[in-house]
Amino acid sequence: MKITIDGKEFSCKPGQKVYDVAEENDIYIPTLCLNKLNHEERPAGCRICLVELVGQGNAEPKLESSCSLPVHDGMEISTKNKVVYDERREVLELLLSEHEQDCRNCGISGDCYFADLCFEYDIDGVSVCSECPNRKDGCFLARDILCLGPVTHAGCNAFCTRNGDPCESCFGVLSNKDVLVFGLEAFGENGFTRDQVLEAAKVFSYEEVRVLEELMDEYDLLNKEVSE
Amino acid sequence: MTNLNVNVEHVTRVEGHGNILVDAKEGKLERVMWEIPEAPRYFEAFVKGKPYTQLAQITARICGICSIGHALTSLKATEDALDIEVSEQDVKLRELALHGENMQSHVLHVGYLALPDLVGEGSVIPLATSHPEELKKVISLHKLANELSRVTCGRTTHPRRLIPGGFSKLPSPLELENMKTKLEGSVPVLHEVASFVKGLSSALPDFERETEFISLTHDDEYAFYDGKIASTDGDITPVDDYLSVTNEYVVPQSTAKYTKNNRESYMVGALARLNNNYDLLSPLAKEVAEDFGLSPVCHNPYMNTIAQLVEVVHSVEDSINLIDDILDKGIEEQGLNHQPDIEPKAGTGVGAVEVPRGILFHEYTYDDEGRCTKANCIIPTNQNHGNIQHDMESLVPQILDQGEDKVELILEMLVRAYDPCISCSTHYVDVKFKR
Repeated sequence: MKITIDGKEFSCKPGQKVYDVAEENDIYIPTLCLNKLNHEERPAGCRICLVELVGQGNAEPKLESSCSLPVHDGMEISTKNKVVYDERREVLELLLSEHEQDCRNCGISGDCYFADLCFEYDIDGVSVCSECPNRKDGCFLARDILCLGPVTHAGCNAFCTRNGDPCESCFGVLSNKDVLVFGLEAFGENGFTRDQVLEAAKVFSYEEVRVLEELMDEYDLLNKEVSE
Repeated sequence: MTNLNVNVEHVTRVEGHGNILVDAKEGKLERVMWEIPEAPRYFEAFVKGKPYTQLAQITARICGICSIGHALTSLKATEDALDIEVSEQDVKLRELALHGENMQSHVLHVGYLALPDLVGEGSVIPLATSHPEELKKVISLHKLANELSRVTCGRTTHPRRLIPGGFSKLPSPLELENMKTKLEGSVPVLHEVASFVKGLSSALPDFERETEFISLTHDDEYAFYDGKIASTDGDITPVDDYLSVTNEYVVPQSTAKYTKNNRESYMVGALARLNNNYDLLSPLAKEVAEDFGLSPVCHNPYMNTIAQLVEVVHSVEDSINLIDDILDKGIEEQGLNHQPDIEPKAGTGVGAVEVPRGILFHEYTYDDEGRCTKANCIIPTNQNHGNIQHDMESLVPQILDQGEDKVELILEMLVRAYDPCISCSTHYVDVKFKR
């Protein structure tokens, strides 16, 4: 039995799933819910492993989760095209919207596949904290050092914090306001004042500082009197 | 009679932009000029107002080759101004980082930039087919140097772990042990590369012009990280008085400032260090220097490339000793993400470090909140520009009859021998107001 994935033909056995054939042939398909150690466990719930089943004859192409899609002879699959990318991105955004982003206190920060995927699919809303291995007491904020990680776009793999220095926001401020509020709250909880945050924010552009100031006003965050 | 018109715009296989202009009519030299047209950088202006914690990170960006050197010089100036102590172990690790950078830069210059001249090629690419085995050895040394920088500083360029008062993260003993094994393994490779260069060294022009050589010097070690300013003319100056040595001035053909001390110009770099500190070279490095007939005081600027090769050997040997020292005493534990307690205060401090291209100075003044109010950086290449100009003026009349192509090549080789980092050296902008 043969199927075609991204234009290349591969042999497979009846009953196999498309994800497994791709994996055997080193074709990368992301997944969050499939148990990498035990492939029997596959709730097919995360929908990140979506692929396009190319329609045969007059049939329309269909998006299917590859981990639950059984192979059939002559099947044609596309894992990398714009439709697949966009759909996976949307799924990730939906998952992220329901995800409590307390990365600073999360046990897998610094080694988080979900955060990596969000970065790979260019989703704004994941801070450097998700990539930083210093959680809880190790967090710079907990040690009275103002680290800009909570309001900074991820993607650097937290290079500075991994090497013992606080984040200086090379990748710039996140544009996802929910996460920014979360980050600003984290500054406040750790005793930093509005002035201190604005001082550190001098590395940002005028526009970015204005967004931070507006959020502080709107949500009454880092109120000087309260913090002091 | 010869008419000569050389106009190299810009010299290749150096960092940055520099032009060589030579005009001669009927055997008479009319003009020789070393021009620096590169745009100024303004680093000293934009560190003003920045807190002391950020200065090393910012000034390291002056150079992609000497980022570790700039960071360390900056830290030394800051630590001098704010009276910050650095532990003996951290000083040794910083010296190790500096060796990594020194090897990186020297191997890059000797192996990729200067070597093509010696084998008569225009770049390093043809060497991949003509001398593949030798080139692989050069690349393996470069890789080793990169790794030493990464182990000590967190990455190969633009160090992250160097902070005022020490290190934010230390290398693990295992990393240092692995590094030591690799350094030891590189010694035979160094010998092979040295004998390869030796076989080609007859291509180096035999030109001498007496000049002054300035570098750091130290009683106990071949000075890189610490010492006083020494001149081959015999003066020893404390680092705080560096301005009395550099005496910067401005020339119309250059955006970089020129410098002079006892004579019309002086030279800094590997050859200057070797001339001032020859006796303190490591045993293997001395052997290599003797092999090339290099002994103090050598006045041939083309031998700077060989002095760099000698220093690579010294750096490997000294790094092995440093790692032994550090491991013998055991690495002192420091917390995860170590940030030393520092009380900012007002003050002025000077830092001087020997970076690959010569002696580098940073001077900062801080206010009582630890914000920089004034900064001055004097970069090795801008100390060499005057010497390059005077070398050219003395060299061109001797080679005038050799034809334009040959004159051009010999002058380009001269500039390359100084291994100039031109972008780093530009500071000065001439603003003329028309009223």
